[in-house]
Amino acid sequence: MQDQTLGDLAKAVKEYDGARATALAEQALDSGTDPKDVLAALTDAIREVGDAFGAGELFLPELVSAAEATQQAMPIVEAAFKAGGGSRTSAGKVVAGTVAGDIHNIGKTILCTLLTADGFEVIDLGIDVPVDKFIEVVREEQPDVVAMSALLTITAQEQKRVIAALRDAGLRDDLKIIVGGGAISQPFADSIGADGYSPTAPGGVTLARELLAG
Amino acid sequence: MLNGFTRAFPALKIMTAEQEESVHRGALFTMEKTGMRIEHDGALQQMADAGCAVDFEEQRVRIPPSIVEECLRKVPTNFRLRARDPHNDLVIGGDTVHFMQGMGMRFVDLDTWETRPATAAEHREAMIVADALPNLHLAEGWEIYTDRRNIPPVMGMLENLASALRYSSKTQVAGNIKDTEIFAIAMAQAVGSDLFPEIEHACPLTIQSGGAQAAFRYADAGMPFVPALSVNQGATGPATLAGATVLKMAETMGWVVMVQLHTPGAPIAIHHGISPIDMRTGDKVLGTPARGLGTAMVNQMLRRYGIPIWSNTGFASNSKKIDFQAGYEKSLGTLFSALSGGHVQMYQGGSSVELLYSSELAVMEDDIAGWIGGVLQGPIFNDETLAIDLINEVGPIPGHYMATAHTRKWWNQEDYFPQVADTESYASWTTTGKRDMLERAKEKVEEILATHKPLPLTGGEEEAIDEVLKEARDYYRSKGMITDAEWTAYMDELSLGDGR
Repeated sequence: MQDQTLGDLAKAVKEYDGARATALAEQALDSGTDPKDVLAALTDAIREVGDAFGAGELFLPELVSAAEATQQAMPIVEAAFKAGGGSRTSAGKVVAGTVAGDIHNIGKTILCTLLTADGFEVIDLGIDVPVDKFIEVVREEQPDVVAMSALLTITAQEQKRVIAALRDAGLRDDLKIIVGGGAISQPFADSIGADGYSPTAPGGVTLARELLAG
Repeated sequence: MLNGFTRAFPALKIMTAEQEESVHRGALFTMEKTGMRIEHDGALQQMADAGCAVDFEEQRVRIPPSIVEECLRKVPTNFRLRARDPHNDLVIGGDTVHFMQGMGMRFVDLDTWETRPATAAEHREAMIVADALPNLHLAEGWEIYTDRRNIPPVMGMLENLASALRYSSKTQVAGNIKDTEIFAIAMAQAVGSDLFPEIEHACPLTIQSGGAQAAFRYADAGMPFVPALSVNQGATGPATLAGATVLKMAETMGWVVMVQLHTPGAPIAIHHGISPIDMRTGDKVLGTPARGLGTAMVNQMLRRYGIPIWSNTGFASNSKKIDFQAGYEKSLGTLFSALSGGHVQMYQGGSSVELLYSSELAVMEDDIAGWIGGVLQGPIFNDETLAIDLINEVGPIPGHYMATAHTRKWWNQEDYFPQVADTESYASWTTTGKRDMLERAKEKVEEILATHKPLPLTGGEEEAIDEVLKEARDYYRSKGMITDAEWTAYMDELSLGDGR
């Protein structure tokens, strides 16, 4: 019965049905399934979709839809961990945002969605995020990774400012910084002292995992 | 005589009247039901006062169809753009078609195809070449080489505009990031020129405070401006062409109402481009037929409203080189846009999405712009061009047309003869270095740089521009947007000059 529900849950993710995934996660938890197993069903399903994306069988709309379905069911699972007195083990905590002056949203949002689906805890600060906001949230949340996006040459330098401000605040050494966006390249990322760069959102997830694995 | 081309035949319409109406209705419905998010309280207040439903908390305005229709009627169907040299003034709108530089962040090395930040001398040379090209009517000095060596990013476009005004007397593009419009307007006014500025828009259905503010600043300065309503299908807009067109028209309506309530009769154009994206990577795909079709659909709708159009269909290619792909992606889309009534074609010189700008590419594409313009102007029809008497006079062989007054008069009246395309005979080609079009373009660029002298600024104008730049540097430095280290490198770079 439990296996059946978890199987259906995985299927709901693979059919991009967030409402059904949420209901099935709730049903599984109500019937006493360990939150760990529910989480595993969700992350296994999204990983399968991710593999199909990597193999060129599925495309961004499917990947992002499945990730959003997972994301929708996640709060229920997190609440169950909390109620049990524990917390879910995440792959890491990420603070992400598009830097000040830049209003490009899509690439950053896709990255956040994929990170969440891959088991990361993600705090999405949105677009046009000032340096101070990054510092404030990093101080409060103590993330493992800061991810920044910039699509314009004129705003790319904001990433450098954020990194400098993190350094000045004594927060830089405790986290990994990844950057992306149309105006960014590997040499630029190196020049501003980022830990990593990826030209694509799926690549950003892999990068975050690799950096945290050390 | 006005600059630019005039299309001599009706604009291509690819939607039926019924399809066109359904897009219009869909856009009106969207403005009334969902409306726009406008992050500018002053604009929202004006819209509320005019009878729009405004939720100030959500910064959302919903606009009744009657207000949309009324404001659409207030948009001028054409407007004059003054250049600092009046010979380069333009009238945008109606059946005119003008060509404008494409954009590109960086300089490209034509031997290695590597890109790098441009120097002041390279920007100067790019503007001199643009000034010389006969089929390039609007210059885009603002976004040619946004990545400038040792220039703090916030000053890059303003330094570019100063260079563009110095070395070209054509009307320039500008924009609005981080208050740069304040200084762009001051520079243009100092030389008696208008600007053709594009304003940032956040798709879908959002106008940010900086965009609204800049639009009002340009309107208050009596200059036209152009919201940039590009959309990535399936990401920032519907994946379907019809849906993307509905969204673009809804956003057009939102902008038009916001602006016309602020300044009735303000000249506004719409900058648009519909881009499919590669659903494996999320990257823009610039050379597919959907982009051409989408352009034609949006052009058709904007012509219905009488709104002048800036089309970016041919502003860049996905190709990293100047090659066959860049040629077909850029020119086919541009041709389609020009045929379907787009007024300003963003075209010459930009490629590799928005990464590179090349004067050699601009020279080659100026030939293609001449080709497209030649087509648009259509055949000349009168008794003399019909040549019925002549045909009957010359008769069969051994009659011929080479020695007639008619040929001497007309042979170069209806056609455009390319400047750098290879039209040599094979025998001649083998003895002149077997040059292709790119090699000929390189020579043309050198020739222009050796001979073309742009109309210089007066001493007073030079001083005024320097003064505005100084104010801008102080402004951004005081706001902490230029660090000490950036400042030192910047000043060192400026001391090198621009190779004048």
